[in-house]
Amino acid sequence: MKIQKGWERLGKLFSRQARPREYWQHKWEVTWKNTLVTAAILAGVTFVALLYNRVSEGTVNIVMFYTVALIFIPRFTEGYVPGIVAAMVSVGCVNYLFTYPYSRLDFTREGYPVTFVCMLLIAVMVSAVTSYTKEQSRILAEQEKQLREAEKEKIRANLLRAVSHDLRTPLTGIIGASSSYLENEAALSAEEKRNMVRHIGTDASWLLNMVENLLTVTRIQEGNAGVNKTMEVVEEVLSGAAARIRKRIPQIQVSVRVPEEFVMLPMDAMLIEQVLVNLMENAHFHAHSKRPIELYTINGEDEVTFCVRDYGTGIPPRRLETIFDGEALNGGDSDSHKGMGIGLSICKTIIIAHGGRIWAENHETGAQISFSLPRQAAEGA
Amino acid sequence: MAGKGTILLIEDEETIRDFIAASLRAQGYKTVCAGGAREGMELAASLCPDLILLDLGLPDRDGSEVIQSVRKWSMLPILVISARSQEKEKVQALDLGADDYITKPFGISELMARIRTALRHGTIASGTNPAVEVFQVGDLTLDFRKRLVKAAGTEVHLTQVEYKIVAFLARNAGRVMTYAAIISHVWGPYMDDNNRILRVNMANIRRKLEKNPAEPRYIFTEIGVGYRMAEEE
Repeated sequence: MKIQKGWERLGKLFSRQARPREYWQHKWEVTWKNTLVTAAILAGVTFVALLYNRVSEGTVNIVMFYTVALIFIPRFTEGYVPGIVAAMVSVGCVNYLFTYPYSRLDFTREGYPVTFVCMLLIAVMVSAVTSYTKEQSRILAEQEKQLREAEKEKIRANLLRAVSHDLRTPLTGIIGASSSYLENEAALSAEEKRNMVRHIGTDASWLLNMVENLLTVTRIQEGNAGVNKTMEVVEEVLSGAAARIRKRIPQIQVSVRVPEEFVMLPMDAMLIEQVLVNLMENAHFHAHSKRPIELYTINGEDEVTFCVRDYGTGIPPRRLETIFDGEALNGGDSDSHKGMGIGLSICKTIIIAHGGRIWAENHETGAQISFSLPRQAAEGA
Repeated sequence: MAGKGTILLIEDEETIRDFIAASLRAQGYKTVCAGGAREGMELAASLCPDLILLDLGLPDRDGSEVIQSVRKWSMLPILVISARSQEKEKVQALDLGADDYITKPFGISELMARIRTALRHGTIASGTNPAVEVFQVGDLTLDFRKRLVKAAGTEVHLTQVEYKIVAFLARNAGRVMTYAAIISHVWGPYMDDNNRILRVNMANIRRKLEKNPAEPRYIFTEIGVGYRMAEEE
């Protein structure tokens, strides 16, 4: 079976039908670039050969010079034409410039067809080999690109599926409550009405947070280049995040600490704030922290580490590794506050786009999620 | 509740316009609505409102054009409504002469507080209010005449530059001041654009004034835009 496949592949390699017509046309194309490169190399070699001829009077090595040139030309050009043309020109040059009678073409000399055929063969073989390797590396690069695309597409699809599932729940609540209010207005007590409107408000603000999370993802485009970094003061970002979470969840308890040393880091503050808000929200809703959630930073030599520490139920050990991969989306857990997985996988996306790391760990009385950001922007970022 | 003033609301989304207008009327403001920039500019010229509430994303023209056109003939307060992620637009609107902004989505109480602040600064700017000599918020007092700053009853020693920054923010308490505005006020117009020096100074100020610099109670950061001094309500 395997062997057969191998044969098929070999057959494809050598059969003309397997390749489209354009492919062969391309191989026999005459382009300006090819012409110029070929001419330049030949001119260079002729010049060197002339010098050599002046100095040492030997003509045997002149042929060697041209042979080397014949190996080089296909390396820097495409297709078969330059190699073959170069072979003919080389033979002509050797004949015209370096063999007796000088400055005259004389193909009647003994053994001449052998030189000619050898040089032609070299040119064709080298052209074939180089164009084959070039083709192979191009195919490899393309395959790799496709793989990466597929991976990205998979992440996107997962996210989309999780999001649409998560968005439906609060929307159902909002639509239900508002239609129930409008249809049964007379029958509802004032207390019930207030409750309904309050639920609408809660669900809507949850939706808003989700949408803001998704918007942050659109701020990250491709890898590092997508993040618009400016120098930001760490303590301002921390206090901004704390203020935002307090506005959204008024009963949340957070304590913020910063080192005495003043630090500025390159980042997109809006995104990092979003990460901190997500982490604090998780600590509040999932860990059921018994003491105030702690938000603090540690200044390292090359990086600054941000920590969100809670005093709650901790993270199940089997999920420590995968918690940022959106695995919590698939349910199977009794504690399924909407959207936890999305929040964390968005955090990871943001931190990685900043060239940082994010990790989760348990301590004796709860859990801690930390991430670190480099002090200097990475090369090329 | 009459006589609180006239507010011109320029906003194209009907649902948002309705709820803002309803709340403004409930608070006793006379409210006029416009659905586009052109209509808004005409109404502004004919009504001379006490304040303009302006959404930046309008269908017919950019909101910043409204600011420019109004600023040609009036210093009346303009409060801009914008989305969270558009820091650049916020800064641009403020630099063009808007007084303040509020980020969508906002609660009604927050909006009312901003409107009150903007209206108050409007009257100060038109010269009907004598310049305040002492500023106070929470435990923080600033005596502009004596150049004296006190936090929780004890005097705080600020450097010349630090005092200038704090005083500038206090004079404009409740309003966001862009980095560019603070820098040009403190260091003069020829200072370069780099706001690092301002932010270092701010970190020092916070360490002197605030109990916990990471949870400021007096000077708040508006990320990507500038600083805002708290205001006594």
